[in-house]
Amino acid sequence: MPIVFACAASHAPGMTAWTEAAPKEQAEHFLGNYRKLGASLAAAKPDAIVALTVEHWANFFLNNMPAFCIGRADHYDGPIEEWLRIPKGRVPGDAPLAAALIDACLDGGFDPTFSDELLLDHATYLPLHFLNPDMTVPVVPVIINTLTPPMPTAKRCFAFGQFLGKVLQDIPKRIAMIATGGLSHWPGEAKHGKINVPFDKKFLNNLIARDLDRLTAYSHNEINAEAGSGGHEIRTWIALAGAVETWQAELLAYEPVVPWATGCGLVAFNP
Amino acid sequence: MSLYQLQKLIYHVNRDAAQRERYRQDPAAFVKGYELSEAESAALLNVDVRMLYTMGVHSLLLRPFTLLNKISNEDYAKALKGLE
Repeated sequence: MPIVFACAASHAPGMTAWTEAAPKEQAEHFLGNYRKLGASLAAAKPDAIVALTVEHWANFFLNNMPAFCIGRADHYDGPIEEWLRIPKGRVPGDAPLAAALIDACLDGGFDPTFSDELLLDHATYLPLHFLNPDMTVPVVPVIINTLTPPMPTAKRCFAFGQFLGKVLQDIPKRIAMIATGGLSHWPGEAKHGKINVPFDKKFLNNLIARDLDRLTAYSHNEINAEAGSGGHEIRTWIALAGAVETWQAELLAYEPVVPWATGCGLVAFNP
Repeated sequence: MSLYQLQKLIYHVNRDAAQRERYRQDPAAFVKGYELSEAESAALLNVDVRMLYTMGVHSLLLRPFTLLNKISNEDYAKALKGLE
C-alpha cells in the first residue's frame, strides 16, 4: 500500500505546557492548523503511523546513543514530563510493521538499533496529542539522534527516509508518516527564546521547492550556528522529504512563537 | 568533575517516575548513589541553575529537571543571564 498521509510538525513543549503565554492569535492559528492536520490524518484512515522523531533523554543516555532506532514495542507510554499538561497515556505500537522495517533495513544497507521498550517524551507524544488525539492509531517510532553529537548527517537522514519510503510501498498497510521537531530553537540554553526566522523560512522554501541538493547539504555546524541545538531536529523533516520524495510540501503554518521559544512549522505533503 | 554522573542522575530523575519519587523523598540520599564531586552535589541539591549549566549539564536535561523543581521560565532565564 502507498503512504496515505505525510506531515511535518514542530513539538515545542510550550504548545501545551504554557499555551496561554503565547500571543492568542499565534497560538490559535498554529494549534488550530495542528488539529486540522489531525483531522486530515484521520480522514486518510491509516493502519499505522511511522513517526520520524527524536527524543530528549527519554530512553538513551551517553552510555549508548543510537543514530537511528526503530521501536518494536506493542505499546508506548508517555509523556514522561509531568509538567507538559498532557494526560499520561499509552499509544499502541505496531511490532510486526516495525519488525518488517528493521529486517528491510538490515537487508538494505541500514543498521538501525531496535527497542522493545521506549518511553515517549513531548517530541512524539505532543504531536500525537494533536494528530492522533484518541491514541488509537498504532505508532512505530523511528528515533533519529538529533540530541547530542555526533549525529547522522542530513544526507544520511534523507537516504534513510527515502529507503523507508520505498519499503513502505510494499507493506500491505495504509501508512501515515509524520516528522517532528525544529525549526530553529535553543531550548534551555542561555539563548533560549531566540528564533532565526530567515533560517526557518529558507528551510521551508527549500522543502517546498524540493531542493534536495540543498536539503541534504545542511551541515551540522551550519544547523548548530543558525538554528540552534534544537534546530538539529530538522533532520526528521529531511528524512520525511526523502520518504515522500515526489510529494509536494504545503506550508500550513509558520509562527515564530517567542514564549514557546521555537520557530513553529507545520507542513503537509501531498501526492 | 564527573559531568557524566551528574547528567546521568538528572536523566534518571527526569525519565523515571520511581526514581523521581526516591529523589523527592530524600535528595541528599539520592545523590549519594552517583559519583559526584562536592561542588556537583551542592549544585544539584540547591538546584543551582547557573552552576549546573556552567558545569556543562545538557540544556535538555537541565530545563526539564528545573521544571520538575518548579523553576519558572522567567527565573530560569534570569539564572542564565549573561552566559553564552
